[in-house]
Amino acid sequence: MAVVRARGLVKTFGEGRVARRVLDGADLDVEAGEVVAVLGRSGSGKSTLLHLLGGLDRPQAGSIELAGVDVARASERALSALRRRHVGFVFQFFHLLPELSGEANVLLAGRMRGAAPDAPVRGSELIDRLGLRQVAASLPHQLSGGEQQRFAIARALVNDPSLLLADEPTGNLDAEAGTEVLRLLRAGADEGRAVVMVTHEAAATAMADRVLRLGDGKLEPC
Amino acid sequence: MLTLALAGLRARGSRTLLSALGILAASLVVGTGVTVGYGLATGFERSADGAGLPDVIARFDPERRTTVDERVRALPNLAAASYRYEVLNAPLTANGHHNHRGAVNTIGEGRRGYEILEGRDLAASRAGEAVVEQGLAKEWDLHPGDRIRIGRELGELTIAGISNAPDNVAFPLATTARVYISDATVRERLGFTPDDANVALLWLRDPAKADVTLTQARAVSFGLGKLEFVTREGVRVLLSQAAGIVISLLVAFSLVALVAAGTMLAAGAHADVQRRLSAFGVQRALGFSPGRIAALQATEAVLVAAPAALAGLAIGTLAVAGPSGELLAALNERPPGGALALPLGLALVAVLAIVVAAATWPAWRAARRPPAEILRGGDVRPRTGKEARGGLLGLGARFSTAARGRFIASVATIAVCAGVVVLMLALASLLERLRDDPGTVGKRYQLTVRAPEWMLGAIRDVPGVDAAGERYATEAADSFRLGESLKLVAYPGDHTAFEAPPLAEGRRVRAPDEVEVGLGLADALGLRLGSTLAAQLRSGAEVRFRVVGIVRALESSGRIGWVQPQRLLEGDPDLAPGIVVRLDAGADRAQVTRDLIEVGAPPKSASAATTRSGQFLAVLASVLRGVGLAVGLVCLYALVQALTMTARERRGAVALLRACGGDARAVATVLAGAAAAVALPAAVAGIVLEWAVFGPLVARLAAGFASLPLAPAPGHVAIVLGGLLALAAGAIALVARRVLREPVVAGLREE
Repeated sequence: MAVVRARGLVKTFGEGRVARRVLDGADLDVEAGEVVAVLGRSGSGKSTLLHLLGGLDRPQAGSIELAGVDVARASERALSALRRRHVGFVFQFFHLLPELSGEANVLLAGRMRGAAPDAPVRGSELIDRLGLRQVAASLPHQLSGGEQQRFAIARALVNDPSLLLADEPTGNLDAEAGTEVLRLLRAGADEGRAVVMVTHEAAATAMADRVLRLGDGKLEPC
Repeated sequence: MLTLALAGLRARGSRTLLSALGILAASLVVGTGVTVGYGLATGFERSADGAGLPDVIARFDPERRTTVDERVRALPNLAAASYRYEVLNAPLTANGHHNHRGAVNTIGEGRRGYEILEGRDLAASRAGEAVVEQGLAKEWDLHPGDRIRIGRELGELTIAGISNAPDNVAFPLATTARVYISDATVRERLGFTPDDANVALLWLRDPAKADVTLTQARAVSFGLGKLEFVTREGVRVLLSQAAGIVISLLVAFSLVALVAAGTMLAAGAHADVQRRLSAFGVQRALGFSPGRIAALQATEAVLVAAPAALAGLAIGTLAVAGPSGELLAALNERPPGGALALPLGLALVAVLAIVVAAATWPAWRAARRPPAEILRGGDVRPRTGKEARGGLLGLGARFSTAARGRFIASVATIAVCAGVVVLMLALASLLERLRDDPGTVGKRYQLTVRAPEWMLGAIRDVPGVDAAGERYATEAADSFRLGESLKLVAYPGDHTAFEAPPLAEGRRVRAPDEVEVGLGLADALGLRLGSTLAAQLRSGAEVRFRVVGIVRALESSGRIGWVQPQRLLEGDPDLAPGIVVRLDAGADRAQVTRDLIEVGAPPKSASAATTRSGQFLAVLASVLRGVGLAVGLVCLYALVQALTMTARERRGAVALLRACGGDARAVATVLAGAAAAVALPAAVAGIVLEWAVFGPLVARLAAGFASLPLAPAPGHVAIVLGGLLALAAGAIALVARRVLREPVVAGLREE
């Protein structure tokens, strides 16, 4: 059964003569345990697709169903709850809060009202599992890029989401760190999550179950 | 340059609006301060010049005008003189009002010493007309053409004009209401031509030599009984005491507000420059010179600041023009009118200068660095050090304190504002208490008791009584010039416990042979420190004192002296003391009164002038509250600006929180942390500031009126804390609403 199902997504930026339709009827189904890699040129709408799937933005047309919720029509409150319990984001530039230690960044999502009750325990386990215990108390600027991205993955997993969205997760890492990050994302999928990853990396497409290309606003298999 | 600047401002629309609001709020406060401060500081001179106030006013027992004129014409420095015959306690009736304290002045030819505000002046040939002072006209709603009855004999007269003479405060602040009539009216109604005078108005060629003229006047005044002189300077001192607190307070407050606003603007401009370093780098790479970049910043600053400052000054001026005008009218002083344009213009220039300097200087400094370095220095990086604790609240607090300079500026601004608001509240409630108990003006006791000396112990034991002591008071006359009457007040020991008029010179009385004299008495008798005051008591005995202090006393026009009682009792053994009672702060006066009656010492209120001071004090209180409100707006601005800047600088972090599932409540919690980080230390600092600096400073400046309890009262602290809480909640709601309206992805893109 599909964890997330998108149909006929349309998203346009700008208005009038400068309007640019980056998604034009895109469809996507992602099953639990599946890793889908999305390729495309810069500006083709890959990140926009992730934002729509994760409820960070709304399409002008089409529908997205995630955990039984119609993402395109849900209220802001419902979207917040959806992101809290069912979606995990991993970004290219990590987006760790510089005021918080690695561990506190992981637990941040678990501190929100309505977060998973076992989030603190799960966060601690993730830090151990990802080999981050030694540097858990360090602030982001004291960590390497690989360590920062592993903390970001742990943060994305702390509420045990059913959908993991990764926007060029290895784009800012060296090869070794990138491989480790891809391994963790694969492991996340193997635990029953749906993973959608935007990437330019060949290694990333190699570990994906399906590779799609976004062009002219539509998703096509490679 | 202008096109480029306008384009830049349009591109940063919301920030531009926020900057403009900040400048408007600061200018509003400056406008209120300048309007009230300038009006009060210059009101007397303006009115005195307008009215042609004489340099010396002499009062004496009635004498023939020709005799007086003979003596006056002998004075070498004299430019002009005119004479009046003043009758006090004349019954006045008009418009359904009645008063027995009219001062009816029959005026002859020559200069008037008053100005006509409405209608016209008396004509020498026209009978049956009167000119009334503006205080009476306002209080009784009188206009030219209305009728006023003066006693039975003069009967009903037509009001020809409304006058203003700043030689005294206006009715009803002054007990007497002045009415002027002409010789022609006296001739018609009373059947004789008035040729007596008891008031002489003297204008001098060189007013700076008034002292010399007074000495000469005394020398030629043989035969004039009860001669009293009041100089223009003496009048100014007496009148300015009534507004002294407000002037000092508002001038200081305006400066503080200007400095605080300047600090905020400087901090905001600095943060803005930091954020725009990349843009400066690009401009430099494209060939812009540092000077051109700085000029662009200056142009933008002027474009934002000029309309905002103009609007703020105008709103501030209009907001307090009414209460300030009433205040001045109560003092018989004229509002500045068009003369206010100059100080307001200077204030506008000062605000613009601060804003432009604050915006230009950091941009110029930054733009002078090599372009590559500027580009590397990009956006503001949050400080990193110890980990933030305390959940989302702690995170918000950390966000707020990350930009250290702006954080300190915000805390300082809000602290100063909170301190000023506490001070305003303390002053306003003090003034209201004075309205209910004007006896406190210049006096520290609230009740008087007619009881034998042996009851002092019992009176002191009454709960709520802070102190009780004997007070002797007697009328006396100067031994050398028996016409000079004066009042002597005596306390055993330190009189400042019960009456503490502020010292203008010298020191307090410490020995039985010493006296502190009022400025009015010193002026009349030419007394200086070290002089001897020889006074003849009613018993006929003479007592002598050495002048050790000169005080600013309103009572008895300053013709008063404070001594110790030994010499008075030697000269007049029958002199009996009254007992004065000072209450504990916050004591229940009604309960104390009941308790005193119970012990057999029924008290009287020391406040005999409640009604005449009430309106004046109420106006003062409303001015203070108006300024307090303006300061509150600055607080709100400072909070909104601090939160908005924090939210903008940490836009990515807030977006990340929302991406992780943070809802409106989570965002509000973070903002609450940011607001608390600024508002809590600011509130504490503000209260401490008022307690340690503002209160004592103002109390010292205004000690002429009373012992001013200006320490922050729990109620005032609660109001300020509650107000800050409400302002913070409002600021959080405003900023949160704005943050939540922004798409999450917009913030993530920026991060």
